[in-house]
Amino acid sequence: MNDTDFMRYSRQLLLEDIALEGQQKLLASKVLIVGLGGLGSPAALYLAAAGVGTLVLADDDSVHISNLQRQILFTSDDLEQPKSQVAQRHLQRLNPDIKLQVIGERLAGEVLNQAVKNTDLVLDCSDNMATRQAVNAACVAHNKPLISASAVGFGGQLMVLTPPWETGCYRCVWPDEHEPERNCRTAGIIGPVVGVMGTLQALEAIKLLSGMAPATGTLRLFDARQHSWRSLAMQKAANCPVCGGLDAHPL
Amino acid sequence: MHIHFNDEPLQCPDNLTLAKLLEQLRLLKPGVALAINQTIVPREKWETHLLHDGDHILLFQAIAGG
Repeated sequence: MNDTDFMRYSRQLLLEDIALEGQQKLLASKVLIVGLGGLGSPAALYLAAAGVGTLVLADDDSVHISNLQRQILFTSDDLEQPKSQVAQRHLQRLNPDIKLQVIGERLAGEVLNQAVKNTDLVLDCSDNMATRQAVNAACVAHNKPLISASAVGFGGQLMVLTPPWETGCYRCVWPDEHEPERNCRTAGIIGPVVGVMGTLQALEAIKLLSGMAPATGTLRLFDARQHSWRSLAMQKAANCPVCGGLDAHPL
Repeated sequence: MHIHFNDEPLQCPDNLTLAKLLEQLRLLKPGVALAINQTIVPREKWETHLLHDGDHILLFQAIAGG
């Protein structure tokens, strides 16, 4: 690290749990962020700011005016432009010293497989069940930790999933690919709710990458109306087609 | 026996499985997960898992948005 790095990261270097060693781990890390919406915006901003050495930004969408109420990576000047490229520009201005790679398509199949294989950690910030299931399967197949969050209305869900999957994977909790009827487009979302969930993904990512113990094995449910949390212990499903049996890893 | 279902008290017969309870409540559908006493019970166990007096059951829906 040079003098600028010491100044840039000084406030987190002060923390005993991170310090120089943790910062060097962050700088040497690569994180794949799947989706640059209301979750991916704060997650990417915090991880870029914290000095995660390489961020891979995946999104197939362009900035729409209805995104701006919650997707804080984007401004009114960015309308109709590809989110992944706008995010790359914005994040590079925030932190010129990190590497930013762009995947301007919906992650699936071999592109997803390669992206997960070549990363240290995956943040699922996507907006649909099909992508969430595919990302989880790829993470289990390649033994990569996954921080999965979601939000709609006044509710949020968060899971930190890590190898060797002793408390299961995303599919152990959600065994069917049923697409929920309520999403941000149909049921609405308030910015700070999805912001809280994306921010917690960044927090858990920094903990995990810098060598602190992340909050694994628990599904956290956020009720923004009551401002309350429930923590539910996860359990591996013995017959889980992704992480359970010998026939797992269906990639 | 007495249980709590989504924080509301509920009276139900003994020797009731999770699947039977959800059937009776017409809540056995895709896209839901369930925890008993703050521990998630995988779907594959719902048919056989017997409820106990005093159980706190939480049924909640998948959120995929973001």
